[in-house]
Amino acid sequence: MLESRELTKKYGSKTAVSGISLKLEAGHICAMLGPNGSGKTTWMKMAAGLVKPTSGEILFEGAPVSIESRRHIAYMSTEPYFYTWMSAKDVGKYYEDFFEDFSVERYRNLLARMELTEDLKVKALSSGMAAKLKIAATLARDAKVWMLDEPFNGIDLLARDQIRECIVERAGEDRLLLLSSHLVEEMETLVDRAVYIREGVLIESVDLEQLRTERGLSMADLYRQIYTGKEVIA
Amino acid sequence: MIRLMKYELRKSWYLKAILLLVTAVAEAVFLIGLWGGKDSLTATGVLLLTILATTGTMVIGLGTVFVLHRDINTKQSCMLFMTPHSSYEILGAKLLENAISILLIGAFFFGLGALDITLLFAKEQALDRLWQIMSEMLRTINENLTIDAPHLAAFLWMLIADWLTTVVTACLADVLSASLLAGKRFSGLISVLFFLALNVALNWLIRLIMNQIPTDFVTSCVVGGCLSIVLGAAMYVVTAVLMERKLSV
Repeated sequence: MLESRELTKKYGSKTAVSGISLKLEAGHICAMLGPNGSGKTTWMKMAAGLVKPTSGEILFEGAPVSIESRRHIAYMSTEPYFYTWMSAKDVGKYYEDFFEDFSVERYRNLLARMELTEDLKVKALSSGMAAKLKIAATLARDAKVWMLDEPFNGIDLLARDQIRECIVERAGEDRLLLLSSHLVEEMETLVDRAVYIREGVLIESVDLEQLRTERGLSMADLYRQIYTGKEVIA
Repeated sequence: MIRLMKYELRKSWYLKAILLLVTAVAEAVFLIGLWGGKDSLTATGVLLLTILATTGTMVIGLGTVFVLHRDINTKQSCMLFMTPHSSYEILGAKLLENAISILLIGAFFFGLGALDITLLFAKEQALDRLWQIMSEMLRTINENLTIDAPHLAAFLWMLIADWLTTVVTACLADVLSASLLAGKRFSGLISVLFFLALNVALNWLIRLIMNQIPTDFVTSCVVGGCLSIVLGAAMYVVTAVLMERKLSV
């Protein structure tokens, strides 16, 4: 469904993503893991068509990402990106105007579950509320691929539970959910695949069930192993 | 495209609202002076309205460049570029909204100016004399110059077309700074110098072509304006291609 081939992105002399070849299939909830600056956001932004690769390519359903793929890929940036003059209602209207797969009804429902109201002004939101608003707008789309960059950032435990519920509800056989987060252990029960990236390089892409049964490791164990270099005894 | 334009208008409405508000104040000063027989107030109103009319369209144009700069350099860029629209449509919507705003504001000031002049000289009962004096003044500058609707319209067309092309050129310089020059030292300075050089080059090219076509004032303005628009369209294509292929937000 989503595939990158020898994907590289350089910013001047700094290489953010270095030759990542990766294939992600529908029917999975996948974690993209790595420390800050490892290239997760850049990879996602390239998949969303926001960042242009220096070399290599990224494909959605076999074709290079394009204007067409933006109709089916819902991307949520980790940064607050709504226009500050907007209210939550304006955000819904904006998504409704530009995305055919956006459901106003689902959006209102998600807002209610996140304990947000449509009259809230974006500029007056706390970081946690702004994060919940981003989630509501993104998950109110009926996309084929969702890419949520740090969806749990700045959100309290109870709200995180709500978001986890909403994410699981959107999963399906014909859909792919890709999440990046620093909260590795919390993601463990949510995802079934994990992609580990370090310094722009793909280290491993694993099926978590196989990881547990064949190597006796959890997602967090492998994370510690990869990023600390210390062997984790299963 | 219409939806993109709707949001472009929304992003810049405050600038237009401020312009209209200040214009309303200037007009009030003019009218109070006119009907109250206070010449100093009338003169102040005329001066303010003249300044607003000449700078208003410029401010609106600069507003578009400012909004584009924000749209490609801040966290909010995601909002615009995640929509299923190409850079051609995104930039096109910005420029089209800007062109329509400039034309409407130009027409608004033209109409307001005509109304105020009519009021001024209707009150003084010397409207015919005014046109005569102004026409004579223009003829002292150039014997082919006359003040009539075709001359004014042609001159305004040329000014607006030139300004629109300048706005597109500024957009190109801004996109250049955020794409090919992104992360490089002195990218801002280089893009400003590029903007200035490109403007000089475009004006030189227009003059060069116009010098080959000896013609009267009205035709010269119309053709010059058309040439500006053609060059502006070429700059638009270059800018959109650059955005589509090289701009990362």
